[in-house]
Amino acid sequence: MPVVVAHADDGRRIDSQSQNSRNPFYRGRRLITIITSDDVKLGDHPKHVYIHIPFCYHKCGYCDFASLAGVDHLADRYLTALDREISTSVERRSVSTIFVGGGTPTRLSAIQLERLLDVIRRAFDLASGGEFTVEANPGTLDREKVEVLAAGGVNRISLGAQSFQKSSLKVLERDHEPDEVIRAVEWIAPRFPRWSIDLIFGVPGSTLSMWTDDLDRTLALGPSHLSCYGLVYEKGTPLWKSRREGLVSELNEDLERAMYETTIDRLAEAGLEMYEISNYARQGHESLHNLAYWANASYYGFGVGAARYVNGVRSVNTRDIMAYLNRIEAGGDATGPSETLDAESRARETAVLMLRRIKLGIDRAEFALRTGFDLDRLVGSKFEKHRRNRLVDDDGLRVRLTREGIFLADTVLADIV
Amino acid sequence: MAYDPKLIRNFSIVAHIDHGKSTLADQLLLQSGAITQREFREQMLDDMDLERERGITIKARAVSIHYTLDNKTYELNLIDTPGHVDFHYEVSRSLAACEGAILLVDATQGVQAQTVANAYLAIGSDLAIVPALNKIDVQTARPDEIREEIQATLGIDPAEVLSVSGKTGQGVPELFRALIERIPPPKGKSDAPLRALIFDSKFDDYQGVVTYIRVVDGSIRVGQKIRLMAQGSEHEVTALGRFRPREVACDDLGMGEVGYVVANIKKLSDVKIGDTITDAAKPATEPLPGYAEPAQVVFCGLFPASHNQFEDLRTALQKLSLNDSSFTYEPETSDALGFGFRCGFLGMLHMEIVQQRLERESNLSLVQTAPNVTYEIVTVKGETLHISNPTRIPDPGFIEEFREPIAKVDFILPAESIGAIMQLCEDRRGTYLKTEYITPTRAILSYELPLAEMIYDLYDKLKSMTRGYGTMDYELLGYRVGDLCRLDILVAGSKVDALSVVVHRAQADRRGRKLVKKLRQEIDRHQFEVAIQAAIGSRVIARETISALRKNVTAKCYGGDITRKRKLLEKQKEGKKRMKQVGNVEISQDAFLSILDSGEE
Ligand SMILES: Nc1nc2c(ncn2[C@@H]2O[C@H](COP(=O)(O)OP(=O)(O)OP(=O)(O)O)[C@@H](O)[C@H]2O)c(=O)[nH]1
Ligand code: SF4
Ligand SMILES: [Mg+2]
Repeated sequence: MPVVVAHADDGRRIDSQSQNSRNPFYRGRRLITIITSDDVKLGDHPKHVYIHIPFCYHKCGYCDFASLAGVDHLADRYLTALDREISTSVERRSVSTIFVGGGTPTRLSAIQLERLLDVIRRAFDLASGGEFTVEANPGTLDREKVEVLAAGGVNRISLGAQSFQKSSLKVLERDHEPDEVIRAVEWIAPRFPRWSIDLIFGVPGSTLSMWTDDLDRTLALGPSHLSCYGLVYEKGTPLWKSRREGLVSELNEDLERAMYETTIDRLAEAGLEMYEISNYARQGHESLHNLAYWANASYYGFGVGAARYVNGVRSVNTRDIMAYLNRIEAGGDATGPSETLDAESRARETAVLMLRRIKLGIDRAEFALRTGFDLDRLVGSKFEKHRRNRLVDDDGLRVRLTREGIFLADTVLADIV
Repeated sequence: MAYDPKLIRNFSIVAHIDHGKSTLADQLLLQSGAITQREFREQMLDDMDLERERGITIKARAVSIHYTLDNKTYELNLIDTPGHVDFHYEVSRSLAACEGAILLVDATQGVQAQTVANAYLAIGSDLAIVPALNKIDVQTARPDEIREEIQATLGIDPAEVLSVSGKTGQGVPELFRALIERIPPPKGKSDAPLRALIFDSKFDDYQGVVTYIRVVDGSIRVGQKIRLMAQGSEHEVTALGRFRPREVACDDLGMGEVGYVVANIKKLSDVKIGDTITDAAKPATEPLPGYAEPAQVVFCGLFPASHNQFEDLRTALQKLSLNDSSFTYEPETSDALGFGFRCGFLGMLHMEIVQQRLERESNLSLVQTAPNVTYEIVTVKGETLHISNPTRIPDPGFIEEFREPIAKVDFILPAESIGAIMQLCEDRRGTYLKTEYITPTRAILSYELPLAEMIYDLYDKLKSMTRGYGTMDYELLGYRVGDLCRLDILVAGSKVDALSVVVHRAQADRRGRKLVKKLRQEIDRHQFEVAIQAAIGSRVIARETISALRKNVTAKCYGGDITRKRKLLEKQKEGKKRMKQVGNVEISQDAFLSILDSGEE
């Protein structure tokens, strides 16, 4: 049975129980594959953990994450609840990835961060070669916190820069200055083997040259991984309201596409290849945690608003921090809406997720192994249409988005979901 | 045991829409003890989902109740009918199974268009009319004024008009007495060979076709061999029953009674609404007069959204037509939409209801083309064609005369709205006929209008221009020559047959421009530019271009919230469900229908 196979840059395989040499997919390729044996079956223990820290210095205008400003006084109480939620729902076990996201995890004080890492370490044992990521925001980071993270076993940082343009940061209502990103990288780079930067394109008022400048300034910092997100006007956010009131306007589609194309090309020139709709990495530096999502693997989720996928059930914790605290403190759980998909819907969902992977696409063998469905029987006719329209490519082993298909990905995905 | 015919009364409840027929039926059920207070729910007889959702009656419903008056127990067979103009045919079918009718008039609204139409229908069928004002519990009821209106429009003596409230039950005992005293018992022959009128039917997966009958002569019993006179097929009665209002089985139904018959009829085509059931061994010589075929006024194409469901759609249409005999369907092939059916309906609401029933009752997803009327065309060779599908209209060179259906429309409306409605009718190529005053403030305005100008939205316009106080009724007069032409739509260079419409030549340019604009909004963008053109014959009169889709991807961080991402995609997918692929362009259901409402503004 194949297991997690991740080729690191230096050729070292993270785990290599089986290199199926007869399958040309594996032969001679320096790709990350997640063909898992660990949690491929429903009911297997998840090997991935997500932990949510909701605190932020200030609520950004476009943000619809489960995040809150001005409630830092709840942080200690929150960590206690988190500890309780984790320890009552899982026994200590080994996992291959941990991701602490937010909100802003680094909004916690150094002492609180230390406590958080301690809670995590007590509950989970990171397998060798495993990935432990914490999200950080430039304005909230300092040297001491960086030390705490590194000492606590974190081996990857995801830094939310979003933009280097003062005007864009203002539109997004981000609270940091462009220079703070540079300072944060100075602290992070020497201490972590892997780190990533998040950027957002398509900000109202931005131009192609501003975006190119963002990319250049980011590349100059030398990250091995980048996430570039297209701005989404989420219903109910201040940014959405401003658009509705005509205070800001969406960029035109051609410009957004040009930004997207530029991203793909510039980063590829710099050695960071697109491996997912919004992710780019040097080979071997792909985010293992995110790859698990796109393989439709199962994962735990803890904290307010956290999503999890355990035993074939998808559920999301309440997004209301007080409800979260009260429920956990009362000895209950904080689970909100949940759904269990039937086998076919789960297979379709898997296809949707896998197709987001630019280089891997949907591997027929992996798909059948994970879902029990034959890809062609399930969605073959849809792919045929999109293949004719040159939105997907099919080499017999794998179905992948073409370059044009990347820009119209939702058109394809909506057809197979 | 068959009921003593002298103690049977058969009647329908007729009225304008919303005047309270179904609510009054509730009271009749309640006060006769057919249902208990605990079983009661409002508009009990409206038991179809669509009826409850819309709060209107769509299908006539029969019920047998018992009522004791002066120590005699009567069997009252009542039929609650729909009030909407599109279901007029249901009313006429119901009346044919009755000797009398309650004519209900809302005491706050007064005489409306379908009050008049239904009253004439009942009077014309020689029925005893029991007029009653309803909703007299309401503060704003104007009983005296409305009695006058009834007299002025229908010639009914105000002294005969009862007062009731379907809500409170007030006046209902008096109504029962009037029904029994004023409506004659059925006057068929008990000892003659069986003749029963099939006034309705339904399909049941286990029992086959269940027919609803009114016994006119003789009687029917379980085990009897019967014959359906139109097709001549013979069957054995396996079950009989009455509606109380639930189906309650019995052994026989006597002269004058109303009930249902199960006779192991599996072939849907054996049964025709309006047919006569007779005894197979001792058949009647003459069938009952049956029903006149209703005239369908709007037509549209119905196509299964997925092309392999054509046969399913055919079966669904057959089944539904057992329960609603008033729509027509015949196979049709469209270049754009594939195999489907051209269907005829009694109006826009009827069309909507049939489509929804097909989808719900047979679990289909349908694509519908824009509705149109039937045209009469005289070709240069002298042939006369009736065409209910715009695509089939020959090119201009072959047409000698292009004729369209004309209707006489009667509006009943407040006098102060007359000017506005006249203007509306003039804009729609109407010919003024006359104005009659019912009272100093209410009038009947009559116009001749091309059917195509009134059928789609005139009723809505009337309602909004009279703030709800205007109503209308119409009857078809025949065909008349018009200066008409067929307007075609080309999408990406090829003609889409399902988008053709017939327009008046003077309005052709304007309609063409509106149409392509509208379609530009309704057709999704594709990977390539899509041109949309409007043409008459080979002359292009308008053009719009849909630009290519350049970016459709949500490059957002959803973290592990995969459900959310999936839901967004499912929403996009939902919008694609009723899409038809025409060449390499996908056209949505909305686009097919959008060509309707581009007539004005
Ligand atoms: N106050 C009052 N409201 C009534 C009375 N009768 C009916 N209504 C209300 O009038 C509305 C229409 O009643 P229905 O019984 O559905 O009318 P209908 O004539 O059967 O309508 P269609 O079958 O659609 O033609 C409902 O909201 C009833 O509650 C009455 O006597 N008094
Ligand atoms: S820092 Fe991130 S989570 Fe916090 S408000 Fe801004 S966008 Fe939202
Ligand atoms: Mg009703």
